[in-house]
Amino acid sequence: MKLMKELTKGLIKENPVFVMALGLCPTLAVTSSVINAIGMGLAATFVLVMSNIIISLIKDFIPSKIRIPAYIVVIASFVTIVDMLMHAYVPALHKSLGLFIPLIVVNCIILGRAEAFAGKNKVIPSIFDGIGMGLGFTLALIVIGGIREVLGAGQFLGINVLPASYKPMLVAILAPGAFLVMGFLMGLMNLMKKK
Amino acid sequence: MELAGRIFAMAIAAIFVQNFVLARFLGLCPYIGVSKKLDSALGMGMAVVFVMTLASTFTWLIQHYLLVPLNIEFLQTIAFILTIASLVQFVEMVIQKTAPALYKSLGVFLPLITTNCAVLGVAILNIQSEYSFIFAILNGLFAGIGFTLVLVLMAGVRERMEKAEVPESMKGMPIAMIIAGGMALAFLGFAGLQF
Amino acid sequence: MKYYLKLGFILLLITAIASGILAYMNSITAPIIAENQAKEQELARKEVLPLAKTFKEISGDFSYFEGLDDSGNKVGYTFVASLYGYSSDVKTMVGVSNEMVIEKIKIISQAETPGLGANCEKSEFQAQFSNKKVDVMAADKDGGAIKSITGATITTRTIANSIKIGLDKLVLSVSKEEVAK
Repeated sequence: MKLMKELTKGLIKENPVFVMALGLCPTLAVTSSVINAIGMGLAATFVLVMSNIIISLIKDFIPSKIRIPAYIVVIASFVTIVDMLMHAYVPALHKSLGLFIPLIVVNCIILGRAEAFAGKNKVIPSIFDGIGMGLGFTLALIVIGGIREVLGAGQFLGINVLPASYKPMLVAILAPGAFLVMGFLMGLMNLMKKK
Repeated sequence: MELAGRIFAMAIAAIFVQNFVLARFLGLCPYIGVSKKLDSALGMGMAVVFVMTLASTFTWLIQHYLLVPLNIEFLQTIAFILTIASLVQFVEMVIQKTAPALYKSLGVFLPLITTNCAVLGVAILNIQSEYSFIFAILNGLFAGIGFTLVLVLMAGVRERMEKAEVPESMKGMPIAMIIAGGMALAFLGFAGLQF
Repeated sequence: MKYYLKLGFILLLITAIASGILAYMNSITAPIIAENQAKEQELARKEVLPLAKTFKEISGDFSYFEGLDDSGNKVGYTFVASLYGYSSDVKTMVGVSNEMVIEKIKIISQAETPGLGANCEKSEFQAQFSNKKVDVMAADKDGGAIKSITGATITTRTIANSIKIGLDKLVLSVSKEEVAK
């Protein structure tokens, strides 16, 4: 029962992007289409789960003075592994995510969860925490990516969803659109929380 | 003259056309987080310029004199993030000992810079763009200046926003995002500039 | 002092283990990545010069490929044209017949403005390059025969110019090669 709570808290209640405003850079940079959003979300989820596992396993052997550098090494290793695997097996996605794959290392969500959760809890809850937070991140990316792709290209996952007479609002897939969509979504979350 | 022209073109590109924050989505966390007050924005900006220039220098040397000769380029992510982390720590120590006044104004921002993805971003971009040593350092410097510019602009706008009537649910983060969107729109006007 | 040595040792140990695992992963993925890239290039070459079955790289000041058919006869050339466009390097694979007429082109990498310059990847745009020679290789606004993409004159101009530059270099290199033979 408690495990379910670890899993679901990341989706809505403690959603890393909308509620805690963590990991903004990749959130805005890669969400010009849904497919990029999913790719980024799953890559980050993998790193999150794996580093949570390792960190919760080795936490007792690491003196607290060198805790952060040790966590960073663990996270950077998994990021490199994801980078290599994506380069080898999904080269097109790897190309469109580009620089933001190695930058998962400095995504505050991952180091944040390592410090706040995995460094204090046992392996099993840490796995669920990682999956929950990762999926919450992915969900947020898909929502933003979906809105931007529909508004900016009239498509969802590359399939036309709006009538051909719709003239795409280009700005939505350009840089300013990312900020605007994010701003309105965060405002909407605040509004819903109040009611 | 030729060289001066190239340096000028690079400065314009890094500061305006491909601004790290507004066009590349790097360094968003401090951009939103430390832009409430003008003086703290300026302090953070200065610290980032300093660290980015140093990080560009050291990561370039590490890439070309350590990773490439030993054929271990795949360790790039780990090597760079550790370099940046130790660099930040070192800079903090040196400033604290030699310039207490400077430390007082920059000190609080230094630890935050390790997880500023703009720093790791510029280091990786320098290598990907195959810049020479001097140009890598300059690119770090200009990228830092571009970051400082938009951070200070943002802080200026947000200080004035205090007096504006913003809908309750849009206060804070959401309205900051909308402002960023407006600024990104303005910076889009620089795209396509060529020399 | 001893305490700090211990800290350093633990950190070193973690990094060493991580490096070992990464080295192993790298040895598995590196050949796949290299193979993918080679395959992608080969596919692009075949697409722009469908008559050719195999390709032979000619490297020099300007590197290009000679396309050979089943019986080893030369059927044309391919090369990669590249220039900086509106917001990115635009790379185009170009296939040319023996008579230096463009067979087909394929944009292989670009990061131009989505919805405007990025439309250069559409087949209608790329198709208009076929059967054209170097003398008309310019955007319509510059007096050439390439119809510009709406709202993306710079991208169009970049692609046309890069191909023109490439063609000129190709003609030069090919004639040098003939002389050398």
